[in-house]
Amino acid sequence: MSQRETLNGKLPGGAFLGRALHRIGLRGRGLVIAIPVLWLFLFFLLPFLVVAKISLSEAAIARPPYLPLWNWDDGFLNITLNFGNYLFLFDDPLYLSAYIESVKIAAVSTVITLLVGYPMAYLIARSAPDTRNILLMLVILPFWTSFLLRVYAWIGFLKGNGIINNILMKIGLINEPLVMLQTDFAVYIGIVYTYLPFMILPLFANLVKLDQSYLEASADLGARPITTFFTVTLPLSASGIIAGCMLVFIPAVGEFVIPALLGGPDTLMIGRVLWNEFFSNRDWPIASAVAIVMLVVLVIPIMLLRKAQAAEAEVQ
Amino acid sequence: MTTSQTSTTAKPWDAPDAVPFMQIKNITKKFGSVVAVENVSLDVYKGEIFCLLGGSGCGKSTLLRMLSGFEVPTSGQIIIDGEDQAGVAPYDRQTNMMFQSYALFPHMTVEKNIAYGLKRDGLPKKEIATRVTDILSLVQMDGFATRKPHQLSGGQRQRVALARSLVKKPKLLMLDEPLGALDKKLREETQFELIKIQESLGVTFVVVTHDQEEAMTLSSRIGVMNKGEIVQVGTPHEIYEFPRNRFVADFIGSVNLFEGRIKEDGENHVVIASPEAGTDIYVPYAVSGVEGQQIAIAVRPEKMEISKADLGDMRNRTTGTVDEIAYMGNVSVYHVLLDSGKRVRVSQSNRTRSNEDAPTYGDRVNLGWAGRAGVVVTA
Repeated sequence: MSQRETLNGKLPGGAFLGRALHRIGLRGRGLVIAIPVLWLFLFFLLPFLVVAKISLSEAAIARPPYLPLWNWDDGFLNITLNFGNYLFLFDDPLYLSAYIESVKIAAVSTVITLLVGYPMAYLIARSAPDTRNILLMLVILPFWTSFLLRVYAWIGFLKGNGIINNILMKIGLINEPLVMLQTDFAVYIGIVYTYLPFMILPLFANLVKLDQSYLEASADLGARPITTFFTVTLPLSASGIIAGCMLVFIPAVGEFVIPALLGGPDTLMIGRVLWNEFFSNRDWPIASAVAIVMLVVLVIPIMLLRKAQAAEAEVQ
Repeated sequence: MTTSQTSTTAKPWDAPDAVPFMQIKNITKKFGSVVAVENVSLDVYKGEIFCLLGGSGCGKSTLLRMLSGFEVPTSGQIIIDGEDQAGVAPYDRQTNMMFQSYALFPHMTVEKNIAYGLKRDGLPKKEIATRVTDILSLVQMDGFATRKPHQLSGGQRQRVALARSLVKKPKLLMLDEPLGALDKKLREETQFELIKIQESLGVTFVVVTHDQEEAMTLSSRIGVMNKGEIVQVGTPHEIYEFPRNRFVADFIGSVNLFEGRIKEDGENHVVIASPEAGTDIYVPYAVSGVEGQQIAIAVRPEKMEISKADLGDMRNRTTGTVDEIAYMGNVSVYHVLLDSGKRVRVSQSNRTRSNEDAPTYGDRVNLGWAGRAGVVVTA
């Protein structure tokens, strides 16, 4: 019980606290784990259950704008579970196409981010330690300014008389401005730009650990650098690729700000649908159902990630 | 097979008309202002196991990396089987390397690891499969084909790494500390197996090691390196019995070095005055030197006699006090403090199970060695 003794010794009133915690079966290791578990319970599980509950109730003009799930009536407990909200989501093609569109935009953005981020991460990992720190700094630097501000800045670049169009017209490549803002193209640019560091950092962390002797062994056995890349470097960085892709894909699916600011009227992403249901239609149950379904959709890639991580842990 | 043929095939480096399989000519490698390898020239013949032996940082690994193409020499030339290796990329060289860390691809099975090099050569699948099976049975690893490297023990990984580097039938196989990661017992077993495999395939080996025992058992010849230079090349016997200078004498095995000056420079003998040894040392052969020249005599501990009784028949004699005894089972090593303050190691093999007359701590003892037991080192 050495942990408990140190706890008792260090904290004022620790003896009492220690005994109390001990009585409910918490000490040392358990105590350390209890804090994040409590945090997740309070700020993730509980809100999730509230949302799940609302998604099963009926919308009403009231405050809050839904009917209670259960009521006590004359000795009867009436529980009303309304699955209509979920059925409605599959009834109205709007929701289905919004989900598909979101997953599509997120997936395409993730692939582009990977294609842009991999060479950058590779270069940073292979550069001299001094240069490496500077390059990493440059990747992280944009986080020092507001995310919203940076997305607004892209409007300045992409709009009709924005910087890009002005330059292209000046040098005579085009005669009239290109329509870039309020298109899917702008949304892709916004997502790739914003999430690029989330791709680069896990990839870098993986590639920097790559043992150079694997590459030398590959060359020694007759593989040209390009073959070595595809047969050794790429497979060995798989866990970094998966981690980076998840960090981009998952938030990109539910992205609201970027499509709202840069996207056009036909950019239909689930984040915007959710916003509309919640704030414009004030249909909390439908909005909650949309959120729950989105979560279920995202559980699949998260499980894939867990599986990949477990496989890698086994190798090491 | 006649005797003369055997001797030429066994010792090609002594044959005047033998063409070296690999020639290193005046190779120098600098990293910035640091000279890692300085003006090294070396000939290695077909079928040899040549060991580059030296402490860490002596440049042996850099030399090996230049042979395999991972480092480019600052100056000099490397010729392997008549082909100049300058500008030849590692992946175009017909040499292979067994890495110190083995560098087995962790995401591939044993089979895929071994087949990797053959696939790069575009061999047909059938041939790859047979060659992988053959080499696996050569290194006694059949049945492990579908394991991943992390499912193997250190010794098994070493075998797979060896198989992977041998399967392409390289002209020259380089081994970087091939046994360094194995424990002592396994290392001794593997040494002899490595020699057997090398003999059965006839591949020329260049081995880098810091372990002199490993170098002695493995190699046909040893090149001792120090500070980027090769200080002596010779068979294990030559290196051990006739070290050319103080560094080699001291680095290989243990040795007692008596510093002194030439007192008498005779036609077929020299006498060296060594206050350190507490006696004049007689050497029964001529030495190129002048009287008064600073010189040293190297005497191996096992070539010295130690006794409480008089050693009247020994050519060189001195006295001292037993300071420490290290009993090692087969031998006992005595640390004797000479009257000059010099510490001398003498080893005696324990031929009987107990010896009543053996010297013990604090005993005054006589030390002696034959005239031919010592080697004069000038450098």
